[in-house]
Amino acid sequence: MMMDQMMSSLSPSFAPVWSLALSGGGGGGGEGGSALGVLASLKEVPLSAMVWLIPGLPLLGALLAGLCAVLKVRSKLPAWLMVLCLAGSFAVTFWMYQQVAATGGSTFAVVHLFDWINFNWAPGKAFVANFSLYVDPLTCLWMLFVTGLAACIALYASEYMSHDVGPGYCRFFFAFGLFVFSMACLVMGDNLLLLYLGWEGVGLCSYLLIGYFYQKPSAVAAAKKAFILNRIGDLGLALAIMLIFVKFGTIEYAKLWPMLTQYLQMAAAGQFDQIPTSVQLIAVLLTLAAFGKSAQLPLYVWLPDAMEGPTPVSALIHAATMVTAGVYLIARTLPLFQISVAPLAGLEGTWFGFVSQISALEIVAYGGGLTALLAATIGMAQFDIKRIMAYSTVSQLGFMFAGLGVLASYGAAFHVFTHAFFKATLFLACGAVMHGFAGQLDLRKLSGVMWMKGWLIVGLAMLVGCLNLAGVPFTAGYFSKDVILAEAFSVGHFRPLAWILLFTALLTAYYTFRVFFRVFVGPKHYEPGDELHAHDDHGHDHGHGDKHDHGHDAKGHDAKAHFHPHPPGWAINTVLALLAIASIAAAFAYPTYFVKGLVDTSTAQVAAGAAGHTHVGGATIFGYDPHKAMYYISGIVGAVGIITAFFLHYLGRRTAATSAADNLNLGALQRAAQNKWYVDEFYNFTIRLPLKVLSHIFHMLDKLVVDGLVNLAGLLPRAGGAGLRPSQSGVLHGYAVAMAAGIGVLGLVALLALR
Amino acid sequence: MDTLINPFLFYGLCVLGAVGVLVALPRQKIAGFAIGVLIGAAALAAFFVVLGRQAVKDGAGLPNFHFYIFSAVALFSALRVITHPRPIYAALWFILTIVSSCGLYLVLQAEFLAFALVIVYGGAILITYMFVIMLASDGPSEDAVEAMTEYDRVSREPVIATFAGFLVLAVLASFMAGGASTLKANPRMAATDDPMAQMAPKVEKTLREAGLLAEGEKLVKRPKIEGGGPEVKQQLALDATLDETGGLQILSADGRTVRTLAEKDWPEALRLSDAQRVGFELIERNPGAIEIAGVILLMAMLGAVVLARKKVELDEQAKLEAMARARAESELGREAEFVQPATGGDN
Amino acid sequence: MDTTMTMSMLPTLVLAQGPVPELVPGITLFHYLAVSGIMFVLGLIGFLTRRNLIVMFLCTELMFQAAGIALIAFGRFHLNHTGEAFVIFVLTVAAAEAALALALVVLLFRRKETLDGSVWTSMKG
Repeated sequence: MMMDQMMSSLSPSFAPVWSLALSGGGGGGGEGGSALGVLASLKEVPLSAMVWLIPGLPLLGALLAGLCAVLKVRSKLPAWLMVLCLAGSFAVTFWMYQQVAATGGSTFAVVHLFDWINFNWAPGKAFVANFSLYVDPLTCLWMLFVTGLAACIALYASEYMSHDVGPGYCRFFFAFGLFVFSMACLVMGDNLLLLYLGWEGVGLCSYLLIGYFYQKPSAVAAAKKAFILNRIGDLGLALAIMLIFVKFGTIEYAKLWPMLTQYLQMAAAGQFDQIPTSVQLIAVLLTLAAFGKSAQLPLYVWLPDAMEGPTPVSALIHAATMVTAGVYLIARTLPLFQISVAPLAGLEGTWFGFVSQISALEIVAYGGGLTALLAATIGMAQFDIKRIMAYSTVSQLGFMFAGLGVLASYGAAFHVFTHAFFKATLFLACGAVMHGFAGQLDLRKLSGVMWMKGWLIVGLAMLVGCLNLAGVPFTAGYFSKDVILAEAFSVGHFRPLAWILLFTALLTAYYTFRVFFRVFVGPKHYEPGDELHAHDDHGHDHGHGDKHDHGHDAKGHDAKAHFHPHPPGWAINTVLALLAIASIAAAFAYPTYFVKGLVDTSTAQVAAGAAGHTHVGGATIFGYDPHKAMYYISGIVGAVGIITAFFLHYLGRRTAATSAADNLNLGALQRAAQNKWYVDEFYNFTIRLPLKVLSHIFHMLDKLVVDGLVNLAGLLPRAGGAGLRPSQSGVLHGYAVAMAAGIGVLGLVALLALR
Repeated sequence: MDTLINPFLFYGLCVLGAVGVLVALPRQKIAGFAIGVLIGAAALAAFFVVLGRQAVKDGAGLPNFHFYIFSAVALFSALRVITHPRPIYAALWFILTIVSSCGLYLVLQAEFLAFALVIVYGGAILITYMFVIMLASDGPSEDAVEAMTEYDRVSREPVIATFAGFLVLAVLASFMAGGASTLKANPRMAATDDPMAQMAPKVEKTLREAGLLAEGEKLVKRPKIEGGGPEVKQQLALDATLDETGGLQILSADGRTVRTLAEKDWPEALRLSDAQRVGFELIERNPGAIEIAGVILLMAMLGAVVLARKKVELDEQAKLEAMARARAESELGREAEFVQPATGGDN
Repeated sequence: MDTTMTMSMLPTLVLAQGPVPELVPGITLFHYLAVSGIMFVLGLIGFLTRRNLIVMFLCTELMFQAAGIALIAFGRFHLNHTGEAFVIFVLTVAAAEAALALALVVLLFRRKETLDGSVWTSMKG
């Protein structure tokens, strides 16, 4: 029995997905296997340099968009070029996946492009960071959905951004291409420095795209907020990279993994006191980095505000790809987390003593779980549908982190994968609504959209997305959430976390269908948003040319009175249909073990018997095996949430603005959730205000002391000059007297000194 | 060696002299010239008394009164030059300074320079000054001091100027004291450079005319020095030879014996005048400098001509003032015309 | 006496005590230099205090004169005529200067209608 399972975990379980489906069960692999797992049998295989096209083509697309901007192209040309490039990139990614799959797993390939940084200051001591790609199954998984989604969303954006054709259009696609390039560097880089480059690159592109409508003050503020909050996480990443180099002498994955084996073995043997604290600290710093980029609890506040950017950006960057970079980072460096499960020794008795009680994995798990709950509660009370989606993203990211924290790396990665599709679908559907209703996002002002002419595809896509998000049985979201929940219940000491996650799943189902029931079904009603001038400009494209009726006096009541929503065009519809189908199809990754195969043959695999992965023997839920019971439990939970939403927001609803939920007077609780639990205000008061006061104090210090000294230094010559200026009267006598007295004094000096 | 004058005494006299000059300088209200002169004269007198007493004590005989008299006159007139409020008088006092300086030159046996100074300064330069004062003077013709221009009546920053001046004097005197001790009179320099020896034909001619050089006798010439340039050789060929005492050596007619004509036996005509000596100095040793001096004078002449011919425009403010004056005058005239048209033609 | 002490403390006036050779008994070089110095300083003070341009130039002549006395005295002291030759050059320069400077004074007077040197303040730039 044990031998059998050991065989299954060690044997090349990575194979074409359908064959893998036959071997191995669900859950976390067999107990008692080697603590090293894949690391023990990792081998390098050659790979064609063609994979360089994956980051290369988006960069080319970005450069072409830039060229279009220079050439003042006023058509959709940059969008088509970008779609072509991204599709090419996706094709290459798929080819790469097949190449890697053909090797049979537990392999990696390093594709070297050129030497980037290579300091060699002593024999055996070098800082090497080459421009090389590290390709393993985990890379393939991430790049598949990144490039695939990017291609789809670029197509969607070609229509969505069409009101901005011109320099803005080029700028958008430039940043878009640059983002995909950076993301590819982040995911595929063979060293942490290249990852850092990509990390900063996606941050920059995120900043550029959030602030795309740079004339809107709120967009600029949101962009700055995102960038600055990301700084905190980036600091953690930079420190972690430095610490890794100091401790291991390399930042290249291929050289780093073998060095970790001894620590992993120590950890597996429970000898945590032999692992240096500083090595364990790396994981904490990486956690900070991941929490910053993936908008987890202390640092999540930037993501909802990032919805100021165009919706395709929200879909791609702030839902599907960039925000999962934190999950990727932890999955990629999971071995470092596995050796950090012990309490951080050495901090006891210090002021940071409380940290010594928590391990990095616990921070990840509870950080994720609490974020999931908090974001879900906020999402329940919001009225802006895009913002609800943003909070749901934060919440789902929390699920992923919780999964990582309980060492269910497969669950986390699977949820990233499925979430990428259905959340992109949801965002794009919301974007289509926003596009068609002149920027209207308030769910109280929209109703029955699906029944309007031309909106069926949008409505259906939204339904698919909502079903996934709510975790309705046999959808992709249901399966991936199940894995995380089941693992959380399996690992005994994470039981409170597991209940939090289960409760969050209930809330998720509720707020998801709250949006659907209010906006897409029910009585037909709409009020246009305030972006008439922008969105109606291309009205003639869709044949309802009432543009000339209200002219450019767009914001007036006339405009609102004559407003007709315009349903999405072919590009948006195609993409929505495509993504909806992909969201449904993603469910097949569960029975075929597509994601599991990829994760478990990469370094993100959690080897059976690894430290911290101690399944409490017979950990059960209601007396059943969690992995089996969870199918039913989560299905029921999802259904309860949907039914609640159905009663509160669909049944008996006569107008768009009211619903049965209004009768529930929750008082302060509701108000607090609506105001996002006053977290922004709390940060404002605890961090921004003291900093402001402090900076005012320093400003005064600077003004008075530093400037004063500088001014004094400037004043002395001025005063001296002012004092001496009268001597330069221009009158001959003055100069003559000075000359005579000077001769006298000089003579006196000479007399006394030379005597 | 005793000091000629106690330095502290000298500095004290400097201070006294400074006070005198300060008091004597022209001022707005108080005319303290007489008091200032008295103080200054007292300082100078004390200085001269100390100097003369020292000279007597050194056994040099009676003091040379010429020097003291000329010095006193020169310094008093110099003081008057700088204190007199009227430029024309200052110029006249300056002539007196020149004349008394010439007396000092004469005491030093520089007769040529003494007379040249009187001619050039008293005759030429000061006359130029007089003309310029007349040309450029806007002073009134009245005698009253109050009527004179303010800038002539009031001296500018007298205290600072006097202090600076006398500081320079004290320092200069101290330098003279410290520096000249290494400077010794060098009689040999005079002997070797004596022009006497350098003009053999003139000496021969003079001696023959005085009957001191018999027929056939010749002056002994200096031996030729090899190695010099052709000019040096030619000059040396003309040189007579002096013996150790400075007497001329004369070769007898047969060329066998040499006799010496002692300096005291030389005829009066053989002695060079000061003018001749200065001429030798200038022509022989400073020919280039003389040429340059000539060029300087020529340039000065040209410059003076150019400057004097230049039509000068009044500057802006002066122009405006002149215009205002002119307008006021013309308006007055017009007014007068208006009031009294009949008498308008009188203007 | 304590003159040695003062001599060591201060610059002494032991110089130029040798009589002007043979000709002027009782008068040393220092006599002449002192007179020359006093005259120079009077010229200097005059130059500094007087505001009439013509008198100022007169004062420079006074300083030239003082220098001339010193030069001749030195020449006599050394028993040569270099000093006298130099005085001739001084005389030349003084004459040239007088010619040019007085022409300039006339020019300046025409421009401002005054001989006050204090009104010319354009040198302060």
